[in-house]
Amino acid sequence: MGRYIAKRCLYILAVFALLTFLLFSLYRLMPANRAYTDARNELQSLKNSIPAAERETKFEELYLKYQRMYGTDTDDTVILYLRWLGLYPFYDGKCNGVFQGNFGHSYEYNAPVVQIIGPALRNSMIIGAVAEIFILAITIPLGILCAVKRGSRLDRGIQTFSLIGFSTPSFITYIMFILLFASILRWFPVSGMKTPGSDYHGWMWVKDTLHYISLPVIALVFGGLASILRITRASMLDALSLDCVRTARAKGLSSKKVILSHAWRNALIPLVSIFVGGFFGIIGGAIMLERMFGIKGMGLMFLDSISKADYDVIMFIEVIYVFIGLVSNLITDLCYGLVDPRVRISK
Amino acid sequence: MKKKKENIFHILARWFVRMFMGPKYEEKMYKKANKNIVIDDEKQSVPNDSELIVSPAKQALQGFLDNKFAVFALFAWVFIFAFVFIAPLFMPKYSDAYTEVTLKNLPPNRTMMKVPEELKNDIKMIDSYGPFSVGLSNAGKVYVWGCKKLGASGMDVEIPEEYKDIKMAMVAAGVDHIVAIGEDGKIYAWGSDRFGQYGRSENAITSSTIEAMPEELYENGVDVAHVKKLTCGYQATAILMDDGRVYVWGNKQTYSNMDNFLGREDIYDIDFTLNYIVGIDSKRNGIFTGTRGLYDTAKTSFSGKGEKMFTFLNGRKINEITATTANMCILLDDGSIAIVGDSVADTVDVPTLPEGEQFVDIKAGNYHYTALTNKGNVYSFGGDHYRQAEAPAKLQGVSKIFAGSFQSYAVDANGDYMDAWGFKGFLLGSDDVGADIWERMINGGRITMTVGAVAVIIEIIIGVSLGCIAGYYGGWVDILIMRIAEVFSSLPTIPIMLILTSLIAQMSLTTNQRLMMIMVILGVLGWPGFANITRAQILVARESEYVTAAQAMGIKEGRIAFRHILPNIVSVILVSITLRFAGAMQTETALSFLGFGVNYPQPSWGNMLSRASNATAAKNFWWQWVFTSILIIFVGVCINTIGDTIRDVMDPKTNSER
Repeated sequence: MGRYIAKRCLYILAVFALLTFLLFSLYRLMPANRAYTDARNELQSLKNSIPAAERETKFEELYLKYQRMYGTDTDDTVILYLRWLGLYPFYDGKCNGVFQGNFGHSYEYNAPVVQIIGPALRNSMIIGAVAEIFILAITIPLGILCAVKRGSRLDRGIQTFSLIGFSTPSFITYIMFILLFASILRWFPVSGMKTPGSDYHGWMWVKDTLHYISLPVIALVFGGLASILRITRASMLDALSLDCVRTARAKGLSSKKVILSHAWRNALIPLVSIFVGGFFGIIGGAIMLERMFGIKGMGLMFLDSISKADYDVIMFIEVIYVFIGLVSNLITDLCYGLVDPRVRISK
Repeated sequence: MKKKKENIFHILARWFVRMFMGPKYEEKMYKKANKNIVIDDEKQSVPNDSELIVSPAKQALQGFLDNKFAVFALFAWVFIFAFVFIAPLFMPKYSDAYTEVTLKNLPPNRTMMKVPEELKNDIKMIDSYGPFSVGLSNAGKVYVWGCKKLGASGMDVEIPEEYKDIKMAMVAAGVDHIVAIGEDGKIYAWGSDRFGQYGRSENAITSSTIEAMPEELYENGVDVAHVKKLTCGYQATAILMDDGRVYVWGNKQTYSNMDNFLGREDIYDIDFTLNYIVGIDSKRNGIFTGTRGLYDTAKTSFSGKGEKMFTFLNGRKINEITATTANMCILLDDGSIAIVGDSVADTVDVPTLPEGEQFVDIKAGNYHYTALTNKGNVYSFGGDHYRQAEAPAKLQGVSKIFAGSFQSYAVDANGDYMDAWGFKGFLLGSDDVGADIWERMINGGRITMTVGAVAVIIEIIIGVSLGCIAGYYGGWVDILIMRIAEVFSSLPTIPIMLILTSLIAQMSLTTNQRLMMIMVILGVLGWPGFANITRAQILVARESEYVTAAQAMGIKEGRIAFRHILPNIVSVILVSITLRFAGAMQTETALSFLGFGVNYPQPSWGNMLSRASNATAAKNFWWQWVFTSILIIFVGVCINTIGDTIRDVMDPKTNSER
């Protein structure tokens, strides 16, 4: 087991390095030259103190200084990548990259990326975690019920609902929720995470936050229900037709016991990847939800950074996405072992 | 008969037939080349009492046909798919970037040309500048029709209760206000007054960009017998008196030359374009705007060459001026007409009259002109986007004409309604720039469907061939390809697409190249699914006898993979195709919604929704997202139903359970 995990971790590291390198090369294609901009700006501020003739040479000097400072004094993508990682020294001989805890600098907020990601991550995780818990609490019992009472009126109704829900793009669901609850009924605020200008603590903060995240959470739960419900029902149906379930019924076990311990255990196997993926997904935030409800989470920050060309932030969030994807794959595989004893992890 | 070499389409068609109708049917259709196929052949050859052996494919088809909803979904989807590709052919006037400021945010309404029944026998005048028209009967009663509720506030331009019993003498409509002069000389107005369209509100008097209604008019009204013309512009109004005095008021931001007309007493005729007030002064030898040289060339037709006004007139006088949004038409005292200003897209040129016929009256809509001749014939010309410049040929004996914003009305000598032509209204409403939602929905559907289809085709090409290679050859090839697939599928789809599309946004591409790039991105990122399925199926098929037999016969490996194994796994791929198509469509819709996929002005279902997605627009302009959303959901339900059903009927386990 330990060897397997170690092997997988090595593999993850390799893929991670490859993907981040690919992403890094992608960003190199984007037209942005921070050193150039900063050099221009500094030159502008020095405008009067330098004679016009020397301006060109002064600019060259400043440009080189900034290039060296930002580590862009070479065109070699590999070196740039290594510098970003913190494995290759800058001009001043020091390494300053990811391994040193420096994920870059946000031009837009003029602050280290790690610092501005914090609140966004918190917002995303509050909403995501609450929604994910609700989704699981609703879909699992409902999916089991539908599969057990297959073909009943309840099942058909829920099937229809989940087919429509599954085919509805999330943003249409969100538009409808905003329209209904925020615009017509006015139960919840349209957007945001807290009352503008407020600075609550303790119980007041909880109340205020609850008021603001209710609608996004409800919308997120509603939008996520359909697809998970479908999968839960399908895998439960498969499990119910297994021989072991028939045997359990034949030997006279109560149907509750048959369903919950025999069938559900088997149905869980295909669901593991979805549950694990869902929980890891909340770290990344829901891009569409955050955009529609104006929640300053990871997704919205990502969108904003793309449209404002704030490359270090994009890169950092993208790295998080890739990392989450890879780690959740690993956790999923490990969970298979937990759920299904037949899965022998001894490769 | 010479055997034809099979091309790829032929092969695909044959597989399709084989899949749904069985190998026997395929043999008949493709090997014998015999047109008279007896389908019942098979049944006849089997004794009646023994059970028919049905091929799995046939059974699957039967299962599919048994599911009525799936059959309906298939037909509905094929219909929509065909419709969005065929219908644009019947929309020759559609263009992506079309905007119309006077028709924005209109609800579904087809009554813009519907003159009220009571007015039909008694028409005195009709006027319109925007989505609604106002009419006046000889009895002095005002009627309003068309889109009466305007803007986000839903402001109503129906005549207020307290004005209903007042006898009106003249009436005119702007884009959001109506001005009427009563028989008593008082000026009545209703609708929006935010930009000083009427009244003397605090805002109108103090604001420097608004010219408020003159106080004497507001207090005392005018001498109605001597009013020569009442006309409204975008958010402005002008009253012209017989003696050349002119009163102008309204939004000065739209009409920056308004100051030049204030207090003038030598105006012969006046009208509004979209940005200028144009007039004729008492000399009647040129167009007066207050700016010298503006509108100083005239031409006899839209395509003709302009001449200096002075040489063009050559001593003739201008009798009348009438203006559309971009150009104006002048009627000269010898009965000829001339065009001044720029022409717009979709223009029908000025007709050449037969010998002896002369223009006696001309009216202008927002883009078109309708002219009446001394023989009672009517001609329409000018902007023709809504077919408003196509007068019915059979119309004769007309004595009066009126032009609405995009409509024309013909009235006979008794004041009876004869005919109307032009724009009826938007079937599904208009969006925030005044484009037709129905047309954009169809054309957007074409783009969304194209993106989905092409993306899936790219996915199939990459995924299936790599999957075939991996599954068939195994070994290190398999490992390599599957590792690459794993890397691709662990990329977060939407974020990567956002980055790639924002990257291509910075390249200088034409819209079609951009669209192509989006399809390629969707396709290239989505192939691992197909590769996995194909590989898994091939691993199963590789162990089967016919492959061993083919190998024993010494057939090349590539041929075995693509010609022997692939046809047998095509059914499984088909399920993936339908579901992936739905997926690609949804991804494109989401990307465009976020503003990273298909960009305005090119329509797509996603970007049509993005501008109606805030709370205000979603509530007030519901038609801007409801219809498109319903269509998206409906198409999604159809495709998912088809995919689900195919999967169900092909899965022997679910079959046996039935």
